Amino acid sequence: MLATSALVLLACGGGPGAAGGERIAFLLPETKTARYETQDRPAFEARLAEICPSCEAIVHNAGHDAARQQSQAEAAITNGASVLVLDPVDAVSAGVIARHAAASDVPVVTYDRLLFDAPVAFHVTFDNERVGMIQAQALVAAVDDALEEGQLVVLNGATTDANAAEFRRGASLVFESRGVRIGAEVDVPDWSPDLAQESMERAIATLGRGSIVGVYSANDAMAGGAIAAMRSAGLAPLPPVTGQDAELAAIRRILTGEQHMTVYKSFRTQAQVAAEVAYALARDGAVPAGVATSEIDNGAGPVPTLRLTPVAVTRDTIATTVIADGMWTVDEVCRDLASACEQAGVSR
Amino acid sequence: MAAAHHRAGPGSGRIAGRIANRWGAPAGLATIWLVLTLINPRFLSAVNLTNLVLQIVAVGAIAVGVVLVLLIGEIDLSVGAVSGLGAAVVAVASARYGLGPWLAILAGLAVGALAGAVHGLLVAHLRLPSLVVTLAGLLSWQGALLFVLGDTGTVNVTDPTLVAIAGSFVPPAAGWLLAVGVALLAVAVLVRHWRRGDRAPAALLPWAAAAVGAPAVMAVFNLDRGVPVVALLFLGLIVIFDVLVRRTRLGRHSIAIGSDATAARRAGIPVDRVRVTLFVLASMLAVTGGILGASRLLAVNQSSGSTDLMLGAIAAAVIGGTSLFGGRGSVWSALLGALVVGSVANGLDLLGVSSAARSLVTGLVLALAVALDTVSRRSADAAGPTLAPR
Repeated sequence: MLATSALVLLACGGGPGAAGGERIAFLLPETKTARYETQDRPAFEARLAEICPSCEAIVHNAGHDAARQQSQAEAAITNGASVLVLDPVDAVSAGVIARHAAASDVPVVTYDRLLFDAPVAFHVTFDNERVGMIQAQALVAAVDDALEEGQLVVLNGATTDANAAEFRRGASLVFESRGVRIGAEVDVPDWSPDLAQESMERAIATLGRGSIVGVYSANDAMAGGAIAAMRSAGLAPLPPVTGQDAELAAIRRILTGEQHMTVYKSFRTQAQVAAEVAYALARDGAVPAGVATSEIDNGAGPVPTLRLTPVAVTRDTIATTVIADGMWTVDEVCRDLASACEQAGVSR
Repeated sequence: MAAAHHRAGPGSGRIAGRIANRWGAPAGLATIWLVLTLINPRFLSAVNLTNLVLQIVAVGAIAVGVVLVLLIGEIDLSVGAVSGLGAAVVAVASARYGLGPWLAILAGLAVGALAGAVHGLLVAHLRLPSLVVTLAGLLSWQGALLFVLGDTGTVNVTDPTLVAIAGSFVPPAAGWLLAVGVALLAVAVLVRHWRRGDRAPAALLPWAAAAVGAPAVMAVFNLDRGVPVVALLFLGLIVIFDVLVRRTRLGRHSIAIGSDATAARRAGIPVDRVRVTLFVLASMLAVTGGILGASRLLAVNQSSGSTDLMLGAIAAAVIGGTSLFGGRGSVWSALLGALVVGSVANGLDLLGVSSAARSLVTGLVLALAVALDTVSRRSADAAGPTLAPR
């Protein structure tokens, strides 16, 4: 079997070189959080097509499987990708991908999540500690006086994601300075909404319905799970819940008052920056001067990093943030919610 | 590929069944490779073939264990979970408790043996259906995996020996030496068969393939990084277990049990003991696969030992030509099947299609393989009811 393949291989002349423009791989981690397929991917593809019409984006989503991401990275490199833009499933084991890329002379740009102990050419992310602080400050302000009697439930992100630790650190700083009581704190595996829902059900069962005055959820998908758990447990009115990512479902929950706030990070900007830097790396072999604002040591050396600034979104600021930026249209946000939209000042 | 069929007998239906059984998988693999290459020639590049091998060894090793339990007419749904658990034990023993690499591997294999013994005893002595026992095992061992991994949810593999398993390649010169050695050996066997008058194509073909194939495969690997050490490990596993199945009493007993357990018991075969032994071996092979996977990923995390791994391994065994109905199959089918399943995944990644398409295509190939298996069994039954006990 293998013998015949060797003959075919020789007939084909081995690995052909890339014809025409550059190929740039964009490796996304999962599909449960809406942002990757609905925001990052189209923005990246559009920006790359804009600055280099003959370039080709190779986009893969690993569906939260680190081994699968490794295979996808290998496929991209085999397919002649000249730069990998990588959002690692597992910040630690992604080092293998970066080392394999380095061995093939393919630079790696890490996207959103940094990887460790392997060479990285550029890192584009948000100020994650700041995200945690914004969430916690908004929650504390919303709960206000009730903080004296009640306690909070805290749902952190996956421990395999280095960002989750930074969100948590930022939030803890605020909670500690205010002396907030935390009744239950869970690190939710895979950022899974289902597991967030289960964790919330457990917290309601152990703490009792009356004592939960607020829920810190690190992102919108988990906030959805937590809210579902509270609704089915009959909590009314719902305590304030935080989120992150400005998912459409979350914006609509904010309009209806089920969720208190979310954090808007312009994924479009992030994806555009990544596409531009990746193209520059493919063309010139270097990151353009002035793009990076800081450096992070990832264990293999300093990584030039751009940290974008996150923005809080509440009912009153939906119109001036996600709508004004074109992340969501009024039609998408206001479908069947016309009166809520009117009250929040969201209109065409 | 060696002996895919163990019972000989006359009858055209049987011969048709034999042909379908023995050549179905190689023909399928050839078709898949041809199609993928036509769409994207990079599929057959040395780099990609090396990647393909690295991608399939974990599933392949697990599939060897699946072949063993299928041979006695049982099933093991827990292989994925056991592989994850075993790999986690190895990683934790090495990274958190500072055990040496070999001791850590032994600990992992011991956990695997224990899990397999539990399955085997429940199936053999309590007469519980293996489907249910190993389904319960799947759930329990997944829980045990999370427990062993602890709060962090991921454990790095940093020990140089463990890293080297999947990360090292045989230097080209040594590789050539090995390939030429294998080729010479195969030629020697061929000559011996020929002189003895044993000139049946079935006896000669595997050795002829080895004589031509070994240097050819080596040529391909040496265009890239050289032969991956794991490829040799995997091949070694196949050869060892192929000999075990075909040439030892345990192997003959297994096939007898898979063909007809009652008859085997009457013939004085220690049916229960053989069953327990094979479940133990299957779980240990699953752990071996888990270790190979962990060495490639350099970490064990919560998604290690997923149901995908189990489904892939069982699909590989069946696609390779091992019967779901027991008593018929070959250890080589683990290699063939893993190549088919791995090629589909690898090729569709190269083409940049979604995970949905990957599952769809793998499912179709599996359905085709099971259909072939059923048809060939039916034709075997029709051809010789007295010789075929089922």
